[in-house]
Amino acid sequence: MTKTYERLTAVAVLLMLLAAGMIFLYAPEDYLQKEPQRIFYLHVSAAIAAFACFLAVLVGSVIYLRTENARADRLARAAALVGVVLTTVTLVMGMLYAKPIWGTFWTWDARLTSTLVLWIIYAGYLLLRRLAEPGPQVARYAAVAGIFGFVDVPIVYFSVTWWRTVHPGPVIVTNALPPEMLITFLVTMACTLFLAAVMVGIRYRIETLLDEAPSGAEATIRGTQREPELAR
Amino acid sequence: MTRSVEVAFAVARKDLTSEWRTRELVPALGQFVVLALVIANFGFQIDSQNAATIAPGVLWLALVFAGLVAFGRAFAAEREQASLEAMLLTPASPVAIFAGKALAAALLLIACEVVLLPALALLFGTPLNVALVAAVLLATVGMAALGCLFAAMVARVRAREVLLPLLTLPLWIPFIIAGGQAVQVAMGASGSYNQAVALLIDFDILFVVLTSLAARFVLDD
Repeated sequence: MTKTYERLTAVAVLLMLLAAGMIFLYAPEDYLQKEPQRIFYLHVSAAIAAFACFLAVLVGSVIYLRTENARADRLARAAALVGVVLTTVTLVMGMLYAKPIWGTFWTWDARLTSTLVLWIIYAGYLLLRRLAEPGPQVARYAAVAGIFGFVDVPIVYFSVTWWRTVHPGPVIVTNALPPEMLITFLVTMACTLFLAAVMVGIRYRIETLLDEAPSGAEATIRGTQREPELAR
Repeated sequence: MTRSVEVAFAVARKDLTSEWRTRELVPALGQFVVLALVIANFGFQIDSQNAATIAPGVLWLALVFAGLVAFGRAFAAEREQASLEAMLLTPASPVAIFAGKALAAALLLIACEVVLLPALALLFGTPLNVALVAAVLLATVGMAALGCLFAAMVARVRAREVLLPLLTLPLWIPFIIAGGQAVQVAMGASGSYNQAVALLIDFDILFVVLTSLAARFVLDD
C-alpha cells in the first residue's frame, strides 16, 4: 500500500516538474502582462483542483449523512485538508499576480472575497474536526458544516458581483488563449488535479490508519492530550 | 404539522419564560451593544461628517457579536441541566424543538436590536426609519436559523466558545453583504434598497429551509 503511494507521489512530482517546464519554457510571454502572467497557469489550476476537493467534501458529506458510512467521512476529511492547502496556494499566487498587475495585493472583488470566505469556511471545518472529540457525532456535524460551506460560497460570489469586479474574466471558455498557452494550461491543470488526487489518497490512507488505531494512539500520533474516548 | 407548530411554540415559550424570570441575557446584551457603540466611538474618532458612513459597519459588528452571545446561550442552559436529551426523548420531532429554540433566540436578539437601533440613531445621529428596521429584522431571521443550528452543534463539543464564531460568522456573510447594502441605503447612501431586501428574503427562505433539513442530523443522537 505504502509502495503504491510512493510511486504515485513520484509520478505527481515529475508531472508538476513537466508543468513547470512548460510554463516557463514552452508558453509564450504575454504581450501586455509580461512575466507575471505565467502565474495564471498554476493559479487557475490550483483553484480548479481546490474546487474539485470541496466537491468531494460535499459528496462525502451527503453520502455520510445518508448512509453513516465511515469511508465517506474519511474522504470528506482528506479532501477538505487538501482543498484548504490548494486554496491557500490560489490566494497566495493571486496576490503575487495582483501586486504588479493591479498595484495592490488585495481588493474586495467578488472572486477574491468568495475565495477568502471559502478558505475561512473550510479552515473552520478542519478546526471543528480537530477540536471536537472524534466519533460519529462530530462526523455528522462536520458533514452539515461541509454542505453549508459549499452552498455559501456561490452565494457570496453572486452577492458581491454588484460591486465592480477587477478580476480577469474567463479566458478558457471564450477561446481567448493562443494554442501554446492553452496547451500549457491544460497540461498544468491535469498535473495539478493528479497531484491533488494523490494527496487526497495519501491523506485518506492516514485517516484510515488513525481510525483503525487503538484508542489513545491518536493522541500520541497527533501529540495532543485528549479525554479518553468512548466510541470510535 | 399543527402538532409540530404547537411544539415549536411551546419550546419558544419555555425559553422566553425562563429568560423573563431570570432576566439574564437581554440586559447583558443591551449593555453589550451600548458598549460596542462606545468602543466604536473611540476607535473611529467619530464626528458629524463620518458618522453616517461608519454607522452601518458598527451596527453589523455589534449585532453579529451580540448574536453569537445570544445563540451560544440558547443551548447553554439546556446543556448545563442536560435537559436537551430529555426533550429529544419525547415524541416531539427534533425539527420542531429546533424551530422553537431558534424562534426564542431570534426574539431575544430582536430585543437586543430594540436597544441597538435607537442607541445608534441617538449616539451617531443616523436616521431611524422603517427601511432600516425592516432590513435588520429580515437579516435576523436567517441569522437566527443558522446561528441556532451551529449553536446546537457546538453545545456538545469541547472548545465551543471558539468554534461557534468560527463556524457561524462565515455563513452569516451573505446576510451581512445584502443587509449591509440595505442599511447603507436606508441611512442615505446611493444604491438599490429593493434589490438588497429581495436578496435578504431569498437568503432567509434558502437558509431556513436548509437548516430545518439539517436540524435532524444535528439534534438526533
